[in-house]
Amino acid sequence: MSSYSIRTLDELKEFLHRAMQLEHATIPPYLTALYSIKPGVNQDATQVLRVIVVEEMLHLTIAANILNAIGGTPDLARPDFAASYPASLPDGETDFEVGIQAFSREALATFLKIERPAQRPKQLAGKGLIQRKTSANTTALGSHPRYEDLHFYSIGEFYSAIAEGIEYLEAEAHRQGTTIFTGDGSRQITPEFYYSGGGTLFPVTDRKSALEAIALIIEQGEGDGGGIYDNDEHELAHYYRFEELVKGRYYQKGDQPGHPTGPQVQVDWEGAYPIKANLKVAEIPEGSELREAAAAFNARYGEFLQLLTRAYNGQPSLLLEAVPTMFEFRNTILELIRNPLPNHPGMNGSPTYEIPGSTKQAAPTRQSEVIA
Amino acid sequence: MLFPLESTLKADAKTVAGSGEYDVVIVGSGISGAIIAKQAAEAGKRVLMLEAGTGANITLAGYDDLLTTFYSAVSKDNQSPFPVNANAAMPRSPKLRKLQAGETDSSTYIVQSGPYVSDTTYTRIFGGTTMHWEAKTPRMLRSDFKTRSIFGQGLDWPLSFEEIEDDYRLAEREIGVSANVEDQQYLGQTFPGDYVFPMRGLPLSYLDQQVNKGIEGTSVELCGKTYPLKVRPYPQGRNSIPNPAYDGGKGYRPIGAVDTHQVEEGGRCQGNTNCVPLCPVQARYHSGKTLAKAFAKNAKAGERLVELLAQAVASKVDIDPDNGKVRSLEVKVYKDPASAAHETITVKGKVFVFAAGAIETARLMLASGLRSTSGLVGRNLMDHAYLLNWALMPQICGTMRGTSSTGGIVDLRDGPFRERQAAFAIDIHNDGWGWATGAPTSDLLELVDDRNLHGADLRRGMVDRVSRQLLLAFMLEVMPDESNRITVDPQYTDALGNMRPILSFTVPEYTMKGAAYGRRFARTVFARLGAQDHTHYDPSDFGYVAYEGQGYAIRGGNHLAGTHIMGTTRTNSVVDKNQRSWDHENLYLVGGGSMPTIGTANVTLTLAAMCFRSSRDILKYLH
Amino acid sequence: MSNRFEAFLGLSVELTAFSRFDLLGTGLAERYLATLDKVVGVEITDTLLAAFVALPPAEGEARIKAVRTTILGNELLGDVARALIKLWYSGTWFELPLAWMERFGSRPADTTFVVSPDAYVEGLLWKAIGAHPAGAKAPGFGSWAFPPKIPALPELDSKA
Repeated sequence: MSSYSIRTLDELKEFLHRAMQLEHATIPPYLTALYSIKPGVNQDATQVLRVIVVEEMLHLTIAANILNAIGGTPDLARPDFAASYPASLPDGETDFEVGIQAFSREALATFLKIERPAQRPKQLAGKGLIQRKTSANTTALGSHPRYEDLHFYSIGEFYSAIAEGIEYLEAEAHRQGTTIFTGDGSRQITPEFYYSGGGTLFPVTDRKSALEAIALIIEQGEGDGGGIYDNDEHELAHYYRFEELVKGRYYQKGDQPGHPTGPQVQVDWEGAYPIKANLKVAEIPEGSELREAAAAFNARYGEFLQLLTRAYNGQPSLLLEAVPTMFEFRNTILELIRNPLPNHPGMNGSPTYEIPGSTKQAAPTRQSEVIA
Repeated sequence: MLFPLESTLKADAKTVAGSGEYDVVIVGSGISGAIIAKQAAEAGKRVLMLEAGTGANITLAGYDDLLTTFYSAVSKDNQSPFPVNANAAMPRSPKLRKLQAGETDSSTYIVQSGPYVSDTTYTRIFGGTTMHWEAKTPRMLRSDFKTRSIFGQGLDWPLSFEEIEDDYRLAEREIGVSANVEDQQYLGQTFPGDYVFPMRGLPLSYLDQQVNKGIEGTSVELCGKTYPLKVRPYPQGRNSIPNPAYDGGKGYRPIGAVDTHQVEEGGRCQGNTNCVPLCPVQARYHSGKTLAKAFAKNAKAGERLVELLAQAVASKVDIDPDNGKVRSLEVKVYKDPASAAHETITVKGKVFVFAAGAIETARLMLASGLRSTSGLVGRNLMDHAYLLNWALMPQICGTMRGTSSTGGIVDLRDGPFRERQAAFAIDIHNDGWGWATGAPTSDLLELVDDRNLHGADLRRGMVDRVSRQLLLAFMLEVMPDESNRITVDPQYTDALGNMRPILSFTVPEYTMKGAAYGRRFARTVFARLGAQDHTHYDPSDFGYVAYEGQGYAIRGGNHLAGTHIMGTTRTNSVVDKNQRSWDHENLYLVGGGSMPTIGTANVTLTLAAMCFRSSRDILKYLH
Repeated sequence: MSNRFEAFLGLSVELTAFSRFDLLGTGLAERYLATLDKVVGVEITDTLLAAFVALPPAEGEARIKAVRTTILGNELLGDVARALIKLWYSGTWFELPLAWMERFGSRPADTTFVVSPDAYVEGLLWKAIGAHPAGAKAPGFGSWAFPPKIPALPELDSKA
């Protein structure tokens, strides 16, 4: 175990906060790509993206359940919670950028990277974290809370660190006749409040359920141990669903990774509105209706994060109220994406997800090196 | 839920015809056929399902095409998502007209022989009418099973509520009913101590709540009895919040969209306000969900236990004269919905199940010359009669949101008054006056063209006109009457040469007495709500019925029943209480047609329950 | 954006009381202008747009009166403008009245039709009443239990 392992409960809480941040950070890019699709085309892609967004919400909720189980207080309204786009995600020795952009081959390439973290090559086995000098203004997702410049090799390693931390701390607590799972059970979100048929939500109450929760997040994203389905051979992992779009063919039972043999998937790569990637409100002319609408959306999104925070802090039934808000976002995002962006001929607007009160601003530059 | 890929491959007509005997041959892929197919497949039986429609909507892409057809349709009537297919035609309500005395109108698929013209519909595509249904799933009341003994009206069932209760629970599981037991315990309905529905009840709409605020605590008097008024939620066959207490604490896993590849699963109702004609997200049950489970047995068994032959219209039943058993079924298989070209094949099986809906099943029997010993095939046709009442609420109620209907006034489903007049259940329609007037498009036309509104006045005018709309749809009991019937005549045939159904119907006086009372009841409710009554029945309306000096526009309910009623002997009925034909021991006529009465319950839940019962009988027969 | 398209948007804002952002947000503005051109012809469309551009820059009641007298009450343009309102609100082009056809000649494309599946989905009447088109843009589980959110009328500036 390296010196960067989780050693205290506070550290574990901070890691789980970052896990929530990470899971949430995938939602704006997926949502934007989803709603950038023009009506009447890309019905398969629409289905795929929609299912995955719903499951990312599930992952966010699962992370909140784990945090609540160990007596933490989820806070999605914290100034450092909402990512600034493009944000960086660990991808082996380098990071990659996750941005807000239209449905496209480039967007899919990024989504594939999000869902399938890089495997650490043999020569780096057992080595520690990757040092990268990330700009102070960039959201470095999946990084170490105590060492801002130290990044995990992959999201998988980030979650492994959490799992090891849980094991370690619970074993420690056990030796002293206690447990780290001291959270109030009524704060757990159960399927009554968030039902996603693709992955059933369950309360986290102990070591076993906490580790199962982490396994579920990883399996839904990248598959189970190299297989394309999750562990009950039921649901295709996100990575492979995205790959179906890239390869233009559905997977079916028995297929090997990378080689789908099911029916064809029709993808119209031009069938999306031309939005300006990673648009910022400041780029939209002052006084324009578009700017006003983009700012209003961000404010509503901020309220939504506050609503989720209350839901995750003892009022789970508020999640039911959050559902109509998500549907309302669909309508607003569609409008933003269909409005032309003034002074940018051929480009349309976009939601910017600049949440009022959040601290990060974009200005990405980075280098990387492996440190022992 | 996943359809195994091979299930979408159309079975080949030649292979089907040449593949010897199936254990069970089922005509129709609606809920009745689907349940029996699934139960038979689970018992390892070989099943052939014949579907008259194209079967294109078995995939999500095909299902979504129906939605696109709906979006593109100028008239958003309740069959608008379903493409015209002359080889498997279906009734379409906008084409109807009033008949002169003695006139017959053969211009629509159902030949209307009057005097009443019914706009009742059913859907001849994969999934049957569950592709189109509203999915309200109330149980029939105890008294509904013996109206003859209790009220001197209609017929008694050969089954009691107690005998069907367990099967109601199976049906509620299969459909995935959302309801709360405490909301359904009115009029003496009881549930075993630990029973909960698979999913929690859907919340009442804001409109329901506003109506309830105006009437709760008030009551009406009828035949010396007091009935308290209240808006109660309907049990619904659409996905809500799974109840963790279901099945002794095991919970319930909802089924969402079905397709041949991974799609969103178990999605909840999103409030598309479009249960009829098509739920865009498949949160509403359709029989494809049950068939997906049946097809899944193929993979488990390692052989094709269940086969679907689409574009296959059952045309004639061949009876063995020695023993009365069905020997085979003549089936017309067409290649293209746009052409009548077809081949005719013969299908053999040990047991035959006709599950094509009350009208098509009767049509098939009659076209084969099979009137049964009792002569009752096609007779006793029933459908709920609907009387619409519409008004403007004094306050904004947010009409046009929710499932098609979330709540209603149901306390007059039963009472001693049923000795003289029909009981009714009232739906509050969340889509406002849509059914009655074509709102909100009709309102838009009026405001723009006649009231000359534009700009801000138009926007405000639309809110004022649409968001306050209240429609009370009275679903009136219709008792069996042998003269209300389906017949066939060789002069009326469809594109494939199959005889079309001819409908002869008179709305019974018992029902009209209930309608007349219903109209008065609606006026009382509107008065209590302070709502402006806009109800108007046009004498030229195709469904206009005069009764005691007043006129009422009666609408069909698409709750077809009674054409092959069940009973206690071969002389008083067509089928026994297991829906087995008295005359043909290997033939089951299943679905609404077997129901001797329909009370005030939408028929699907009850007929689904009966099909679980029939499945057991079929398996027993096969052993 | 061309002047012609600008004028069309301005006219549409005036007639519907939805903002340019709302109208552009449907993704249908170009197609609706093209629908006018196709059904009644470029010449009548241009006459309609010219009548709008020539409106006096009055505010409030005076403006409404001008719209009524020079557009909605114009024998040639009134029915076309009403068809445009209905198009924006429902996504359906409604055939012009018989009297209009008799006077100005019938047009082959002038039948009642839904412009496209998404035109139905983007009908503004649903937005006006705080609802959603039946079968599309669902508001989410349980939303129907709450009062409708009827959007406030925007402060509009229709002048191009």
